[in-house]
Amino acid sequence: MRLTRTTATTFRLFGAAAAAGLLLSLPSPAHAEFPEKTIEMTTLFGGPAQTISQVLADLMSKNIGQPVITVSRPGGGGAIGYTFLQSAAPDGYSIVFSSNSISTVYYQGNLPFNYSALAPVAQIGMEVPVLAVRADSGWKDLKALQDAGKASGKKLRVGVSGLGTFTHLASAALFNRLGLQVVYIPYGEGRAPAELLGGRIDAALQWASQFAPHVKAGTINVLCMTSKEKVDLPVDTVTCDSAGAKGLDLTIWRGIHAPKDTPPAVIAKLEASIKQAVESPDFKKAGDNLGFSPLFKSAKDFGAMVAENDKEIGELMTELGINKKKK
Amino acid sequence: MDIFLTALAASLSWQALLGTFFGALVGLIFGAIPGLTYSMALAMVLPITFSMSHTAAIAMLLGTYIGGMTGGAVSAILIGVPGTPSAAATVLDGEVMAKQGKASIAIGIATIAGCVGGILSLIVMLVSVDALARVAISFGPAEITALVVFGLSTICGLAGGSLVKGLIGGVIGLMLMNIGQDPIDGVPRFTFGTTAMLQGVDLLVAMIGLFAVPHVVTVFATYWRGKEMRIEAGNVRTELPSWRLLLSQRWNFLRSAAIGTVVGAIPGTGGPIAAFLAYDQAKRWSKHPETFGKGEVSGVVAPEASNHAVTGGAMIPLIGLGIPGDPATAIILGGLLIHGIQPGPLLFMEKPDVIMSIYLLFVLAYVVTALIQLFGVRAFVKALRVPPHLMAVGILVMCVIGSFAIRNSLFDVGVMGLVGFVAYWLIKGGIPATPILLGLVLGPTLEREARTAMIMSEGSPAVFVESYTALLFWALALVILGSQLITMMRSRNQGSKKAAA
Repeated sequence: MRLTRTTATTFRLFGAAAAAGLLLSLPSPAHAEFPEKTIEMTTLFGGPAQTISQVLADLMSKNIGQPVITVSRPGGGGAIGYTFLQSAAPDGYSIVFSSNSISTVYYQGNLPFNYSALAPVAQIGMEVPVLAVRADSGWKDLKALQDAGKASGKKLRVGVSGLGTFTHLASAALFNRLGLQVVYIPYGEGRAPAELLGGRIDAALQWASQFAPHVKAGTINVLCMTSKEKVDLPVDTVTCDSAGAKGLDLTIWRGIHAPKDTPPAVIAKLEASIKQAVESPDFKKAGDNLGFSPLFKSAKDFGAMVAENDKEIGELMTELGINKKKK
Repeated sequence: MDIFLTALAASLSWQALLGTFFGALVGLIFGAIPGLTYSMALAMVLPITFSMSHTAAIAMLLGTYIGGMTGGAVSAILIGVPGTPSAAATVLDGEVMAKQGKASIAIGIATIAGCVGGILSLIVMLVSVDALARVAISFGPAEITALVVFGLSTICGLAGGSLVKGLIGGVIGLMLMNIGQDPIDGVPRFTFGTTAMLQGVDLLVAMIGLFAVPHVVTVFATYWRGKEMRIEAGNVRTELPSWRLLLSQRWNFLRSAAIGTVVGAIPGTGGPIAAFLAYDQAKRWSKHPETFGKGEVSGVVAPEASNHAVTGGAMIPLIGLGIPGDPATAIILGGLLIHGIQPGPLLFMEKPDVIMSIYLLFVLAYVVTALIQLFGVRAFVKALRVPPHLMAVGILVMCVIGSFAIRNSLFDVGVMGLVGFVAYWLIKGGIPATPILLGLVLGPTLEREARTAMIMSEGSPAVFVESYTALLFWALALVILGSQLITMMRSRNQGSKKAAA
């Protein structure tokens, strides 16, 4: 079972039926103005990201005056969904729940266009992965892991979500800074904690919420988070930057993109709706429970951030020798 | 005791009952329609649970999950197309039973087997969640590889007349799943440079093509030749299985449920492999294995008891460790997290009432699902009175919708048609469909796990034989293969002797 790929689709027809139901109960706008019909948010992956997209769509539906439904278009590491969106009508009724995957999948050579083929709408939040080890390894901080790794002379086994995925890049950036030899083991989302507990890998770089119950139970230690600034996570820890991996700052952004020529007025409307949803207490609460940090950025700021992040990811992948777009 | 009563009261509140009922109904419908799966049903009901109390939310999610698992058997029996991959093994005998006019008995016993299997798995989970969670995490990529190869060895038992043709089918299935993006390195394979082909062949899409299209083509061809396909409509009685029949299956219930629970507990495996293993074992332990595939009741009981036991099994790592084993449990995990429930070792200490209500709601979901099914049998079997050529049109429409809905992709509809068309000729040529399906189901898992194990060992194949668990499954696979070869040799010798005489 491919966890990331075949994970649940919100079935379009049923979504549409539900939407029709909502339509009857909602007051319709007096004159023709965006939005007049259901807005479709393409999602690319399953797991917690999909749950967040559903929460966002739910909250947007409540303030934009039309239903927003999520439609799953998984596959190709996100390439399928991005391709669908790039060729969709630029009317604001098709948007995508995007992430850094647009950069990773592009530099892997599986997407014929990059972020600039889509129009940024807004950032909705970020996710910060953490590095975890088994408690019985005795490694209490990053330094201890670094020393043990250097002393043993053996390669460390580190679990990531997949080769070329964001967690792989972040791990590579981290361990290159520490000067350690590492074998990266690709698991589907959600498997790495089990593998760590089972003793088959030495460390795993994953979302904090996955480790939270085990940290509380005392079986797993979390060593550091990959962002430069400390953020609130389900598991309290220091930044890798302060723990010895100088300058490390890698986080996943999540946001909304629309097809390139979507009218600015429509984007502004979507942006306002997203702002209201992201800054609501409901979204904050869902984020806390799912280990996700809500963060709103306007279309302009978001676009600039994506461009900068894309450059970093490209350089990192070149450094790792997995950049297929390099001339 | 207090905890038990509080949880019981909460589980029997009208919100929880309504949630279970609604969930089970949606699950049953999604499960019964090929292409719509319980994972989709779960994703669809998830947003509805956001604003509910946590008990009602858990009730609805579990109801959907369990209803969906049960629904798969209905279409497997009535039209010979499994509603979910987990119900694929149920087709083997279920469809034949329906053709013999025993559809209601088959659905009835499948429902009861599912209910019994599910509740047995819950009991196992109650008693040994800790121990089994530990067993579950002892399965790494190498062990799962061995388990999957053991699963593939059941092709021997499913191949029917010719082992070689069975193996051809298995290999076709395995090869088909290589199309698309490589699961490890993300390298495109057989995509001819197109983005659409990156999606690869979806398991469900291929399954629909494999089972539904040949069926539809055959029906149309027969009708066109002016022959009526006779399913004796007059013989479609609504009769439920007798107690005697149920009692005669007691060991089968237990054995299949045990297989399902263990397989379900291992992350990254799931219902289809459990169902096929249980079917194969039921056949091996049977006093009359030759009746399997010809409408044998045990052949319906085994996969259904086993794939439902997977639901309890999958709850073990989910509740015990907070680790989801498949897409469906990943969505349930999302639903729990949203309500501030973090499954894991601490949940048992911090919120025993929540654990208790999960157990109770699990049982409730099974009871409600079974009741809906048993009352619904009468309506379901009426479908058999529809003339086959008209029914085939309905099936075709359903399959097109189903294969589109999985990933909202038109590409998949084309794949479904193509796979189905090729499958029709393969089946005509004597290649059985079930080994193809087994290859489809197990191929991606086999590749991912074997390659992950090799990455871990830095290229040394010794990793596959380093643990006793892995060795055990290799040995079991060898035993099955060996015994099959011996049987074949014997029958060939006898055959040639007869020919000589």
